[in-house]
Amino acid sequence: MRTSSTWRIALALLLVLPLAGACKKKGPKPGEAGAGGAGLGEEGLGASGSSLERQKRGLPPEEDGILKDVHFAYDSYDLDGAARDALTRNLDWLRQNSRAKIELEGHCDSRGTIEYNLALGAKRSKAVKDYLVGQGIPAERVSTISYGKELPLCHEENDTCWARNRRVHSVILGQ
Amino acid sequence: MLAVLALALGHASLAAAVVTGQIFGPGSESFPIAVVPLKNLGGDPGGELGARFAQVLSRDLDLSGYFRLLDPKTFIENPQTSGITAGEIDFVGWAALGAQALVKGGVTTSGDTATVEVRLFDVPGRHDVPQASRRYSGPRADLPRMAHKTADAILEFLTGERGPFDSAIALVSTRGGRLKDIYRFTFDQDEPVKITDERSLVVNPRWRPDARAILFTSYRQHFPHLFQVEVASRQVSRVVPGPGVVLDGAWSPDGSKLLVTREEGGNSNIYLLDRGGQLLQRLTDHWAIDVAPAWAPDGRRFAFCSARAGSPQIYIMSLDGGGLARVSSTGSYNTSPVWSPKGDRLAWATRAGGGFQIVVAAPDGSGAQTITSAGSNENPSWAPDGRYLVFSSTRAGHAHLFLADRDGKTQKQLTRGAGDDTSPAWSPRLD
Repeated sequence: MRTSSTWRIALALLLVLPLAGACKKKGPKPGEAGAGGAGLGEEGLGASGSSLERQKRGLPPEEDGILKDVHFAYDSYDLDGAARDALTRNLDWLRQNSRAKIELEGHCDSRGTIEYNLALGAKRSKAVKDYLVGQGIPAERVSTISYGKELPLCHEENDTCWARNRRVHSVILGQ
Repeated sequence: MLAVLALALGHASLAAAVVTGQIFGPGSESFPIAVVPLKNLGGDPGGELGARFAQVLSRDLDLSGYFRLLDPKTFIENPQTSGITAGEIDFVGWAALGAQALVKGGVTTSGDTATVEVRLFDVPGRHDVPQASRRYSGPRADLPRMAHKTADAILEFLTGERGPFDSAIALVSTRGGRLKDIYRFTFDQDEPVKITDERSLVVNPRWRPDARAILFTSYRQHFPHLFQVEVASRQVSRVVPGPGVVLDGAWSPDGSKLLVTREEGGNSNIYLLDRGGQLLQRLTDHWAIDVAPAWAPDGRRFAFCSARAGSPQIYIMSLDGGGLARVSSTGSYNTSPVWSPKGDRLAWATRAGGGFQIVVAAPDGSGAQTITSAGSNENPSWAPDGRYLVFSSTRAGHAHLFLADRDGKTQKQLTRGAGDDTSPAWSPRLD
């Protein structure tokens, strides 16, 4: 119930917001992005829920959502027990919504440098993708992107905030 | 007297040269100099151009860390009525104010053309210094550049090394709002000027060797790709075609090739591309993160950051893919290497305490010296003279650009205000 109503609101937003022009104009052109990962996210619809598109619209990054965020230790892309628990719930949803495609966003805390964190975020999103694919989710349903430390959830310099920012966030591209 | 000084400095190491009992080097701020507004010799009746020239030149000299600028309020002479040649100058009066050196000159304009004649004077020696005196002619808008060239010439005469101020710094800033764009800063500006209109995420700006275009990574097409913006026309173009994700890139010193970090299947490696972005050679092939390639000035080696030993560390490698050597030996997190223009030093960022600090070392890692301590300091970039570095620092709150000499003795704030200024890249000399 909650899931479908959230989704309906999201769809309603999508219908309104492209009028602002930002999504249409700045979104990748069709055929452009067979890019990193499985070649998803090029359609304006797909990109619109991403952390970057939210930033463009003045919205804060989304934490969790229908799919749970997966968290990591400092400078790590290993999936620990808590990460696997979150992914078990995400797997249930992906199996129930077998046409859904998602994009996995790798994020990092501020305690790495800009360029290294871009590479680390890519490792994190790929680690989650590998786990999902290993559990039977077709690779074509999952694309990956890294935002490094460029789009943090919070800006404080403390353990709690750093831990929140070290995450892979799942964006549902379409169903 | 100044000629003797210059000679002595030419033979001594910069930081250790001793003049009248004081250490003379960046950070000593020991050399008293007076910079007088240029005299109107026709076409600058309000004296604005003359005052502007002196302001830009004074700022450069202050940033260099060598000089103590005398307060113009203490000047006795009226710059618009006093003479500008050695025979007309009151050297005794300037000596009484404490000036060792004096800069005076004149400006004329004709239409849009401004002509500047400027001289450096040795006050105790009571004569001008032809080696550091200049005549420039060009569009009025180039007046600040004439001041930068004068500063660079004065530094060359006094230290044996041409100054770096006729140049520009590319950076990423959030000044325009919550998104990031590429900005350009010159030493006569109060604020950096926006160059791109990406309204997206941009990272890792680097100059093309002709200093006329800036390479950067942008998320404008959703996934990160490498672009280039022409500074004059603001025209943006893709540099590496195709769907591959490129995290950063750097032009070779001769502008014929690119080193880039490509990310594929979660793994980042370094590749050599031709100027059209076509693959020449894959240089690293490791499951761990390899990122941030930086050319050696000879174009035959590069430095990069790799986590292959379990934590991010600095390595160097030859362009043929051999000669891998680890450079950083201490610290658990070393990234963002940059190679000095003369090839004799590397700088990078090392994690220490709660943030990052800038390290300068020989290319084999020996003699490593941490040159910052306040705030978190990231993304160093060398000045074209190899004497200074620019980097971002949080020491004054927001991330802003700071300049330091390579021993860390002088530290100067370059940008201020709201928004974060990060990832500076110091251009080659403009000509």
